[in-house]
Amino acid sequence: MRDAVTAVVDHAEQSQALFGGKATAISNLKTMAKECSTPDWDGEGTVPVNPIAVLLAENFVRALPDDLPLPEFAPEPDGSVTLDWIPSQHRLFSISVSSSDRLAYAWLDGSDKGHAVARFDGSRVPARIIEGIKEIMDHGNSTLRPA
Amino acid sequence: MATLPSGLPEIVADEEELVRFLTQSNRFNSIMAKPAAFLPNPKFRNTSVFRIIPDPELIRLAWQQNKVGEGSLKAAAACTAIEVRKTGLDVLPEEPPSRHANLEGWPWLDGDADLQRAKQLEIAQGIAQKSKLVAVTAP
Repeated sequence: MRDAVTAVVDHAEQSQALFGGKATAISNLKTMAKECSTPDWDGEGTVPVNPIAVLLAENFVRALPDDLPLPEFAPEPDGSVTLDWIPSQHRLFSISVSSSDRLAYAWLDGSDKGHAVARFDGSRVPARIIEGIKEIMDHGNSTLRPA
Repeated sequence: MATLPSGLPEIVADEEELVRFLTQSNRFNSIMAKPAAFLPNPKFRNTSVFRIIPDPELIRLAWQQNKVGEGSLKAAAACTAIEVRKTGLDVLPEEPPSRHANLEGWPWLDGDADLQRAKQLEIAQGIAQKSKLVAVTAP
């Protein structure tokens, strides 16, 4: 009985920690979107961050498996949002989220690089993207951080 | 070789240092300037840079002389022209403003905007990988 209670408490604490991590990430996303919500926000004639892109990026974060690290966010000049996994300057995985249901992504692992497009239904992260993130983040297994 | 109003040569040499102003804190982290920092402006289809040595004081001076709007300079990213050219882009001067240049040659696919963004992201990663983040303190 005691073991069962301990397991439930552990699970609840873990869920809270994971939810907390995603909540923080989404909060960071919204803060960035607010800072980049006016036309020409950087003085270079860039487009405000697209609210639909922000919503899709938020859905993407919620849909990420809990064992994956959470991304950093960056505004793009066309109003899209980039989600970055950056374990080092030479290993990157980036996803560009626009108002489209297709995600543009690219990876860099030393001299290995590539790009592709995958459809996102708003609730399930494409398997190819999950594998790509894991490959970049697990490389050497030294920089993996909890979600 | 012909020179520009700034006195710089018309052709950007491979070894020349290029600086990109970073005016939004989400465009860099403690490690590097993020790929999004180099993506092209959709209106002009290029990325704006300055041909200056990546010294914080010089960068700040160039920013003060050329800034547009109310934004503030948060940091800068620097790389050489050859690293840009290795990605398939070119560096072409455009003055005024003084010492200004653009990263040109980004892929534009009228029929597939998503694939276009994926291709551009890969190029931007290549530049970000070779760039140095320069801390610039507020004056």
